[in-house]
Amino acid sequence: MPERILEVTDVQKRYGENVALGGVSLTIDAGESFGLLGPNGAGKTTLISILSGLSDSDGGEVKLFGQVFTRAKRDLRRLVGIGTQDLAIYPDLSPRENLRFFGKLYGFGGNALESRVDAVLAEVGLTDRANDRAGTFSGGMKRRLNLAVAVIHGPKLLFLDEPTTGVDPQSRNHIFRQVKALNSSGVTVIYTSHYMEEVQELCPRIAILDGGKVRACDTLPNLLKTLDGRVRFRLSAPVPGFEERLAKLPGARQVKPTDNGFEVTTDSVPQLLPAVMTLAAELGATITAIEPREPTLERVFLHLTGRELRD
Amino acid sequence: MPILTLAAKDLRLLLRDARSAVILLVTPLVLILVLGMALGESFGEKPDERLRISVVNLDRGLPGKQAFPDKPWSEVVMDDLTATAGIRLELITDRAEAERLVARNRRAAVIVFEPEFSERMNRCSFLSQATPPPINPFDRDGVRTTEVGLKLLKDDTQPVTASTIEQVAQVTLLRVLIPWMIGRAFERVGDDAFMESLAVKLKDAKPLPPAVLKELDPVVQKLLDSLMRDPEFGAMMLKAVGFRDATTIANRSKEFKEVMSQAFNNPKLMARVGKDIAFGEVMTPAVRAEVGPKVRDGVQEVLSNYDFKAKTWAGLNKDRARTANPDGVTEYRDTSGSGFLNRGAVRYQILVPSYTVMFAFFLVLSVGWLFVAERKHGTLARLRAAPLTRAQILMGKLLPCLFVSLTQGFFLLAAGWLLFGMTWGSRPDLLAAVVVCTSAAAVGLSVFVASIARTETQVAVYGTLLVLVLGGVSGSLMPRDLMPEKMKTASLATPHAWALDAYAQLLASPTPDVTMIATACGVLLSFGVVFTALAWWRMDLE
Repeated sequence: MPERILEVTDVQKRYGENVALGGVSLTIDAGESFGLLGPNGAGKTTLISILSGLSDSDGGEVKLFGQVFTRAKRDLRRLVGIGTQDLAIYPDLSPRENLRFFGKLYGFGGNALESRVDAVLAEVGLTDRANDRAGTFSGGMKRRLNLAVAVIHGPKLLFLDEPTTGVDPQSRNHIFRQVKALNSSGVTVIYTSHYMEEVQELCPRIAILDGGKVRACDTLPNLLKTLDGRVRFRLSAPVPGFEERLAKLPGARQVKPTDNGFEVTTDSVPQLLPAVMTLAAELGATITAIEPREPTLERVFLHLTGRELRD
Repeated sequence: MPILTLAAKDLRLLLRDARSAVILLVTPLVLILVLGMALGESFGEKPDERLRISVVNLDRGLPGKQAFPDKPWSEVVMDDLTATAGIRLELITDRAEAERLVARNRRAAVIVFEPEFSERMNRCSFLSQATPPPINPFDRDGVRTTEVGLKLLKDDTQPVTASTIEQVAQVTLLRVLIPWMIGRAFERVGDDAFMESLAVKLKDAKPLPPAVLKELDPVVQKLLDSLMRDPEFGAMMLKAVGFRDATTIANRSKEFKEVMSQAFNNPKLMARVGKDIAFGEVMTPAVRAEVGPKVRDGVQEVLSNYDFKAKTWAGLNKDRARTANPDGVTEYRDTSGSGFLNRGAVRYQILVPSYTVMFAFFLVLSVGWLFVAERKHGTLARLRAAPLTRAQILMGKLLPCLFVSLTQGFFLLAAGWLLFGMTWGSRPDLLAAVVVCTSAAAVGLSVFVASIARTETQVAVYGTLLVLVLGGVSGSLMPRDLMPEKMKTASLATPHAWALDAYAQLLASPTPDVTMIATACGVLLSFGVVFTALAWWRMDLE
């Protein structure tokens, strides 16, 4: 049984009249790469702030490594790294100076610190620019440095809040590779984003947060299962008996006639699609257009929240 | 040590901030330089509306002691000057310096008492003959100053002021000379020499007029009457002429007196009798000795509103004596400095500490911007996520600010010494203590402002306004001595005022008041503690 690294129970947070978190509960095990998905204003950053010790909740409980966690527990903060949504680097210092500074704050020093700085610089691909002023860097390089700062002290739990905001593809790939590498090395990652594809790629388990509440929390396949796949197609001419044969295809759950065609609801689009093509050939029908629609996280999100992720 | 790590980082950022270097180090230096060259010599001194009379006193005085004056004549003149309302005296030690000051238009006129001034003043007299020869100091314009050994050095470019000073000198000399000369002259009235010269002048006044002899008749009658009644005279007569003649004279004295009276009242007879008698024959030494003082007393009685023997102006006028004002005399000091920068000018003793104090508080801007940048770059939040206490974060900020402030304070004082030739006074150790305590107050205020201001604009507005207002109220922008007393007292609500008072003690006073300096240091530290406590309360570090 994996170690339970984070246990969040009914955590609440208000800013005046505005409810940022309305009772959030979730658990995360050691070694997980956990996605926290939600639109802007969903409460992701507030939740990350509480979980990383930047602020305290108004109610509920957070257990980190089995201990109740509040801001006062400074020792537990040593086990946590945070890559904040906004950059948190000193632009007038070089990457090396930034990393040395934050490394020292966590108790590193001497050769150990220098080795660690060199290693992290290499991991984020900033060795060549290690001594240049960070303020002169591109957005992507700053994001990579921001990630380096978050991991300089070797945290066991890493919060990454929208780490790819405003970065170029090269830097995004760098960040992805590093997040995957960190996770592979045993670092538990909690990754928030409103980019569905990022979460899908990096996080086997995902929580969907909206309006300060967890709308769903499960593995990606299980989340996708909550929605059906669909295959829509049009025929050149009506074919008698086509609809009846269609309903009997394996995986077809519901058939609905449309203009010059049909929409078939299915558990598995990949299974249904070749079967539809084979049936059309068998009955001498010509398919003039076909549109397979698999269940996606975006559709799951829309289904759960009633709005687009980027609303 | 996280505090040192934080401090080292902020120090590095502060040192890389060229904007702060300009504000904290370059600007005050430039201001001191510009004001040091532009301000007048008397900057920092309380304006004295009294007329300044500059004096070089080379007077040797009088040999030995004499009843009047009991001091050199130059001092008598200077006492009279200082006793005159609206006049202050400035003593210049050497003539060359005085000539230089006049030549450079820094003094409109300088009075020089020449070495023989006392000796010449002493010889001033109404008499035409005396030993040593008398000096007549007067002419139609007043006192001939050169005659008495007084030289007036004048700057031709300042004729009005020079003329005023000359007139003051003239009036003073008249006030000193006239009673002196009258007194001396009056001593001569009725003295033996005077009466003798009178007798000589009357010696040739012949004949004695009959009217005068007629006026002598009552005196002669009295004399004869008294003689006839006097037993001693009777005995003398008896011895000289015998009993019979003596009895005859005594019995006929009445008729004799009558005949004498008739003779004295006979003008023709008297004209004949007095033909060979002169007035001067009456002025015998005994008469002169008796009459002379009576003459003097008589004159004094007739002119009783004045005391002609007094020799001083107040005495002559029978008025209260004027009192010399020792506070009205100052020694001339060359406070103008030298060279292009006026190095060593006394104004730097005020300018350097004033701007050191005022710009110490410009740290508000540097620290404010440092905090704003920390918030803007998200690093303050990042620090809050690190295993740091609030106290560690605040201390990590305070230390580099204190270091920068101390560097600034010592840098400006060192620059003042090196560039402007200012002195560090007699207690450089206490000077260092004042720098430290001022920095503590400045750092406290800086973190307090940083805890309130959220943006760079707010820092600039709050900081600049605060620094300039506090600077103005405290007297950093002008010498504190020029402030009204009420304002001076009110300004003690600012840390600047305490720092400036302590600096004034250390840099302007030869014997600094250590208790006052210790108090100022204590108050400055208290300001620092209170401001830091407010910042602690206000600052969102957790």
